[in-house]
Amino acid sequence: MRADLFDRYSYADSSIHRLPAALKLAVALAIVIVTVVLPVGRWDGFMVIALLLIGVAAASRVPGSFIVRRLVTLEPLALGVAGLAMFQPHGGRIFATMLAKTTLCLLTMILLSSTTPFAALLDVMKRARVPDILVSTLALMYRYLFVLVDEAQRMRRARASRTFRPGRWWTWRTLTTVIGQLFVRSTERAERIYAAMIARGWS
Amino acid sequence: MTYALELSDLRFSYPDGSEALRGIDLRVAEGECVGLIGPNGAGKSTLLLHLNGILPEFGGRREAAPSMIRVFGEPISSANLGSIRRAVGLLFQDPDDQLFCPTVFEDVAFGPRQFGLVEANVREAVTRALAMVGLAGFETRAPHRLSVGEKRRVCLAGILACEPRILVLDEPTSNLDPRGRRELKALLAAIPATKIIATHDLELVVQLCTRAVVLDGGKIAADGPPVDLLADEPLMLAHGLERPHVLQHRHPH
Repeated sequence: MRADLFDRYSYADSSIHRLPAALKLAVALAIVIVTVVLPVGRWDGFMVIALLLIGVAAASRVPGSFIVRRLVTLEPLALGVAGLAMFQPHGGRIFATMLAKTTLCLLTMILLSSTTPFAALLDVMKRARVPDILVSTLALMYRYLFVLVDEAQRMRRARASRTFRPGRWWTWRTLTTVIGQLFVRSTERAERIYAAMIARGWS
Repeated sequence: MTYALELSDLRFSYPDGSEALRGIDLRVAEGECVGLIGPNGAGKSTLLLHLNGILPEFGGRREAAPSMIRVFGEPISSANLGSIRRAVGLLFQDPDDQLFCPTVFEDVAFGPRQFGLVEANVREAVTRALAMVGLAGFETRAPHRLSVGEKRRVCLAGILACEPRILVLDEPTSNLDPRGRRELKALLAAIPATKIIATHDLELVVQLCTRAVVLDGGKIAADGPPVDLLADEPLMLAHGLERPHVLQHRHPH
């Protein structure tokens, strides 16, 4: 598979990539907090943050199309929640604010993750005394995300090569078995990983 | 004399009732290199998982009394698991199971850190282990960006960093291209530890091992010098194996 599916630009080089990971994480968190606490309808504030982020994006030389694609994939999740705001009085204004806030926060995180290797972020968290169990969980999640996607892709190809019946209904039905299979395989793998961990002295 | 490994009447059944090991007796002297061969499902991997105490504790029923396995004369028990696991390094079949850390450095450092080395010594151990497997400078790489051969060598480095006296390897050459296989064999030959290698790579057994053990149906079917056992065509065929190409014609080329 594309081993660089999630971190294609994390290891690239630019003035932004060269900044210390701790600084980037701190600034990203600050931007997110400021964005979240800005009151409804402070469009000037949102504008300033947006311009700042666009400046960073340009300096990082991560292609705009990549950032937009990532944003479009993540946005629907936030939009679902924002949609509920439409039922309130002045719903339109609240909806627009929520949309602006989520877009800015997502943009910040996308920029952070595509200019900093994940391992460097974990390292910062460890030094900042984030509980070990949380850092380990994030580390394992990041590590096995790739293995899982890889496995799903292999299964999808294997299924596609034996699918002779076109049609959406059939695709959906087999998809459920694939998800089930993936779950079973993941639990089995989790057991093997645990065995490998205790084999090297984990307790 | 004290053996590196001593198994007496080792039995194990999985929770679903399937008998994986039906009474294994095996003594391995220090410095031996044992090739463990046999068909799929013979119990090779199950046997290996016993050698540093992952089974029977892990998963299955506690059927085997811990004293059935001795490592350097010491029976494996819950009290000495830490030192046993440090003495016996286990290489798993799928490198993705074994490389669970976000960077190569973290992964190789995992064992030494668990065994309580101070950070300076951990660094030293990692550098030395990576140099041994020919991957010096790979410290900051992410495991998912390595080739299978590189992954396998990082796994090996992770074990070597703990300085084990016994190396237990499950299919070390599977999924490797011929060059990767050749390099790994040279690497293994250079490591002086006692080695137990479960494999379908019969040429590896002939080239590296001082002794071959045929496992089938959870029992030891044959035990002897690799060249004698592997050249015995009826024996090989009876256990789902074959006479390797290197032993097909004994005249010099």
